[in-house]
Amino acid sequence: MNEEKGIAEQASPLVLEKLAAHHSEALLAQRETRGRVGVVVRKEQAYAVLEYLKTDPELAYTYLVDVTAVDNSQMESELMQFDYARFMVVYQLYSYQGQCRVQVKVPVHENDLSVPSVTGLWRGANWLERETYDMFGINFEGHPELRRILMPDDFEGYPLRKDYPLRGRGERESFNFEKQNV
Amino acid sequence: MGLAKTHIQSGQGAAQTDGNIITTTIDKVVNWGRKNSLWPMPFGTACCAIEMMATLASKFDLSRFGSEAIRFSPRQSDLLIVSGRISIKMMPVLKRIYDQMPDPKWVISMGACASCGGVFDTYTLIQGVDQFIPVDVYIPGCPPRPEDLIDAVMQVQQKIASGAAPKGIEVAYE
Ligand code: SF4
Repeated sequence: MNEEKGIAEQASPLVLEKLAAHHSEALLAQRETRGRVGVVVRKEQAYAVLEYLKTDPELAYTYLVDVTAVDNSQMESELMQFDYARFMVVYQLYSYQGQCRVQVKVPVHENDLSVPSVTGLWRGANWLERETYDMFGINFEGHPELRRILMPDDFEGYPLRKDYPLRGRGERESFNFEKQNV
Repeated sequence: MGLAKTHIQSGQGAAQTDGNIITTTIDKVVNWGRKNSLWPMPFGTACCAIEMMATLASKFDLSRFGSEAIRFSPRQSDLLIVSGRISIKMMPVLKRIYDQMPDPKWVISMGACASCGGVFDTYTLIQGVDQFIPVDVYIPGCPPRPEDLIDAVMQVQQKIASGAAPKGIEVAYE
């Protein structure tokens, strides 16, 4: 509760002010709803922005809460807004110092699915990025060991993409569990 | 024929021991023992397992039916309780555990997910573990109440007492 109050009292959140001052060329969009701050940044500058958010002594977003992605292929309004980028990679950050959160989104086009890995900034990103790779097929460049984490290693396709059928492509029936290493 | 009966038939002692000796068959004695000391192997993968834990704890107290000795080693157990969702990646593990249990063994499929996939009709979930391992008793519900699990254990007990073969053996000899 405190955390929301603290932000609501400020006219404009510190993080938005500082990003506008230092990384304005990277910002595609920003929003603030009920104390929740979110920014959309260009992929090319994404690593620099995330590094800045973590290392700036005033912001100190030292805790990477989550890395995930969104498939916007059926969300026309979102697609139009960001140059028809199919995916959004989402980083949720938390600052213990400022007791506040920020959400960083990075639009990713389908023909270039690579995004810089942030495992160098937060070691906890390792499994989160593997999960995002497993479910959406986003390639995190520089990740120490980018392989599937939830689905079986020989699984084909990326099940959280909107064009993946809910009941699968028959792997429930055809799954050969005799050859799996138990 | 048990020892008791031979003793009576040998004459002489029959009158003296009247009322203290019962006659039975070895099978009945063994089944009576099995039925009252089922050692479950819990395979809890989801929310149903919480109900299973409640069943084992003091309030519902499965030990009243002789089944409180939870074995986390399949080698020492004879009742597999599958409680929760089983994904295609988990199924080989479950199958291996089932195969490692010594005969005779019984299987309870607890809850909608284990029995038929439940609400999770998705790419990754096994739609009923009975496609891969033989199931003796199914429990409906999401999640089933602890009483339902107790009821299922009692049904397994009845099945053992009746002398019926476990589903696994039935399948093997079909
Ligand atoms: S049947 Fe319901 S309670 Fe049991 S594992 Fe499935 S979802 Fe959970």
